[in-house]
Amino acid sequence: MSTTGHKTWPKLASPDEFRFLADLVLKHSTGDHTLVSLHDQQSGTTRFANNQIVQNVDTRRGSLSVTVAFGRRHGTAATTDFTAGAVQETVTRATQIAHLSPEDPEYLPPVEPQPYLTLPTTRAETSAAGPARRLEYTNEAIGQCRMENLGAAGIVSSSIATVGVSASTGLFAHEERTDARFSLTAQAGEATGWSAAAHRSIDHLRVQERTLAAIDKAKRGLEVRELPPGPYTVILEPAAVAGLWSSLLWTLDAKSYEKGTSAFSGKLGQSIVDKRLTLRNLPAHEDLLGIGFTTDGLPTMASDWITEGRLTQLAYDRFTAKERGIDKIPTLDAPCLSGKGPSLPTLQELIKSTERAILVTNFWYIRTVNPTDLTLTGMTRDGTFLVENGAIVSAVKNFRFHESPLQVFNRIAAFTNPVEAITSETGKLLVPAMMLHDFHFSSVTRF
Amino acid sequence: MPEYPNPHQDELAELALKRVVASGAEYGDIRLLDSTTQTIRGEDRRIASIREAQDSGFGIRVLYHGAWGFAASSVLSLEEAPRVAELAIEIAKGSASLASEKVKLADEPVHRDRVVTARRIDPFAVALENKSALLLDTMEYVHRQPGIVRSSASLWARRDRKLFVSTEGSRLEFDLIALSGDFDATAVHDGRFASRSFNTPHLRMGYELIEDARFLAEAPRVASEAVEKVKAPTTEPGLYDLVLDPEHLSLTMHESCGHPSELDRALGYEANYAGTSFLTTEKRGTFRYGSPHVSLVADNCEPGTLAATGYDDDGVACQQWDIVRDGIFVGYCTNREVAQKIGAIRSHGSNRADSWGSVPIVRIANIGLEPGAATLDGLFADVRRGIYIEGHGSYSIDQRRYNFQFGGDAFWLIENGKRTHMVRDVVYHGITPEFWGSCDGVADRSHRRRYGFITCGKGQPSQSGWMTHAASHARFRSVNVIGGQAGS
Repeated sequence: MSTTGHKTWPKLASPDEFRFLADLVLKHSTGDHTLVSLHDQQSGTTRFANNQIVQNVDTRRGSLSVTVAFGRRHGTAATTDFTAGAVQETVTRATQIAHLSPEDPEYLPPVEPQPYLTLPTTRAETSAAGPARRLEYTNEAIGQCRMENLGAAGIVSSSIATVGVSASTGLFAHEERTDARFSLTAQAGEATGWSAAAHRSIDHLRVQERTLAAIDKAKRGLEVRELPPGPYTVILEPAAVAGLWSSLLWTLDAKSYEKGTSAFSGKLGQSIVDKRLTLRNLPAHEDLLGIGFTTDGLPTMASDWITEGRLTQLAYDRFTAKERGIDKIPTLDAPCLSGKGPSLPTLQELIKSTERAILVTNFWYIRTVNPTDLTLTGMTRDGTFLVENGAIVSAVKNFRFHESPLQVFNRIAAFTNPVEAITSETGKLLVPAMMLHDFHFSSVTRF
Repeated sequence: MPEYPNPHQDELAELALKRVVASGAEYGDIRLLDSTTQTIRGEDRRIASIREAQDSGFGIRVLYHGAWGFAASSVLSLEEAPRVAELAIEIAKGSASLASEKVKLADEPVHRDRVVTARRIDPFAVALENKSALLLDTMEYVHRQPGIVRSSASLWARRDRKLFVSTEGSRLEFDLIALSGDFDATAVHDGRFASRSFNTPHLRMGYELIEDARFLAEAPRVASEAVEKVKAPTTEPGLYDLVLDPEHLSLTMHESCGHPSELDRALGYEANYAGTSFLTTEKRGTFRYGSPHVSLVADNCEPGTLAATGYDDDGVACQQWDIVRDGIFVGYCTNREVAQKIGAIRSHGSNRADSWGSVPIVRIANIGLEPGAATLDGLFADVRRGIYIEGHGSYSIDQRRYNFQFGGDAFWLIENGKRTHMVRDVVYHGITPEFWGSCDGVADRSHRRRYGFITCGKGQPSQSGWMTHAASHARFRSVNVIGGQAGS
């Protein structure tokens, strides 16, 4: 098996090839406006469970989407077939749909050509990685778990994509994006420990370190005690913080805000979380998964969203932004949450400074219970522990929580510096680990 | 739309499988799939988008020395097929290098067949302007209700034309259709907001599904109930008897019975993502899952349901079997790989992939609650203090499917045997076998309705599973209803 990636695959669409496809679309379109989008990806995942591979997949998928507009009537058609005939058929279908569509009062023509930041969205080592590299990491994770007589379940994945947007306005953008992921659940009988990573570079997954972290949690979970539900001081590891913050970030859209159907309605400019917290978008940060442009072809940008606890930004669609006279629409593709003032350098230091708390590795199945105040529910998962006098003393059975991030993030006792965090249900963020008071666990499960 | 989108499909399949056989692999299959998806999405009295997507490609699965490899491509050419086959073989060889327990497939007869969804009206032949007009009119009707501030409405249809060929000799062709529609209304009152939804079932049938749903007749009721819901009094936490409608039960069954009955989960395959299952293999045949009123039947043969595709993506014929019989857990959803691990001689045929680019995995079958003998009025009549719940709301469940919490779309107080007024902030919590153990009545077959899902997440990379869950109304005693606010 080769270790240097996929020599056998057809190349992904380069800038020149995308320009050729886009020109083909624009030449055949009779619309007042035409927008062409490309997503061409080669991705692979090696998935393992019970200490052996259960899935090992590699997929090449190219897709071209065409939106044609006549006045305010618009239609979209997409194809995975890049041959000239299929592309022309796609333009024809988008044109037919546009002619049959009612006028959309919120339709806006594609944006004009934009300046874009050149961001570190691609890493050669990831684009070169293929099944052999994924197998190498899989072997490492399984081997470490086997040595400890534990079970290993997880994934190693890598992908490279070329993404493009072009329009009849002269807009043109093309970018290569790589993505590598590792996650592992180590199993010691009923006990589980989890760790995960995502990065543009497959070299930065730190597979050995994260494997040992998952193993440590699983081994600590062998003896588990049940605590009653109720309010607890908690230490949330970064993944758990990311889970709660992702739920908050998904509900910042401006249209809901203005219609009064958002938990944030009327709160722009007001304090919504602890004044030490600031949320910024940092697309150029090399440890985040920032992108150069959006699906509309708008440039991403560094921007402030929550400044010292105050909500300072909303997520605007183009129409609402135009209505409000906003020229540059801030994006939220690479969120970083940080704390101002004294912080502890690491999670371990945070644990050492704690008299009594529940340490939460991760949350699972977080869902909104009450959208008006953003009450969420979810379960702790894969490593929930009791901390007493600066040390983990035992594992505890998993809790269900019932809390609003707009309340709990006003009860911060301490935090660390922001670090990388990702879960199976969130995108990647930089967030601190945090200690929070009076976090409400509403019930306990059987394990 | 041509009947066979790729005239070279048989040649392409033959080229690929020749390579697989020549490699010495013990098994291989190829799926060529051409999907057309049409989505019309309305929002706040406008059509926000109409999109039609063509998604074509093929995936090749290889079992080499007891280990899997899979490769797929959207480049449908005679040059690409052998190349992708070689890659799938190479990947399978890599998997085999770490295989401690070799995969063996349960036997299945060779099948050669063609499966076509029965339809009266082809959804892709219905004029787009008629569909848009239906959604615009629906939203207009919704907004006639004072207090409504937002609305949405959508139609979705998909046609899958698929060819499955295996090295064992099976050759199966499919021409399948699925569709659905929905709309909702959002009302604001006193600083709160609340939505009420209307969903057609997701089913495999023609556009008659949408016509029969009578959006325009339902819109005023849905809008009125949205306003009533946002103004309704909150609920006191405590123990209540619950009467659950079929749409609500479709989600409860899906999460608390469907997922734990997936054998791959019980065997640990999903430990890193979707989770495992409290229905471990030693419980089969003896574990009391629910009361004697509870019989949950998997039926992938019922016409019109999402998982009734004739054959699954292992090429196994669809079947009907029991998951829970008279309250006892008796059966799993399986594929050819995991079936033999519990001594089954045949897979139940529940192995499905969500596209040509995805590898098939065990999916929940069309699991439904077997009807009882009660009437809906009869279920209400014996309730002194209870809540009647319709539709889907917030839901969350732990990774072994014990501890769950469900909301709903609309709630009515039941007092002294009568459904009275709406209430809000209802969330009930339970432990799965205790909850199903509290079921003391199921309505008869005349109340049976079917609701489906096309967004059931499982697998890494994540795939969307499709299945339909049928039920009649059912009653559950003394269920813990908690408040809908943080800290409660």
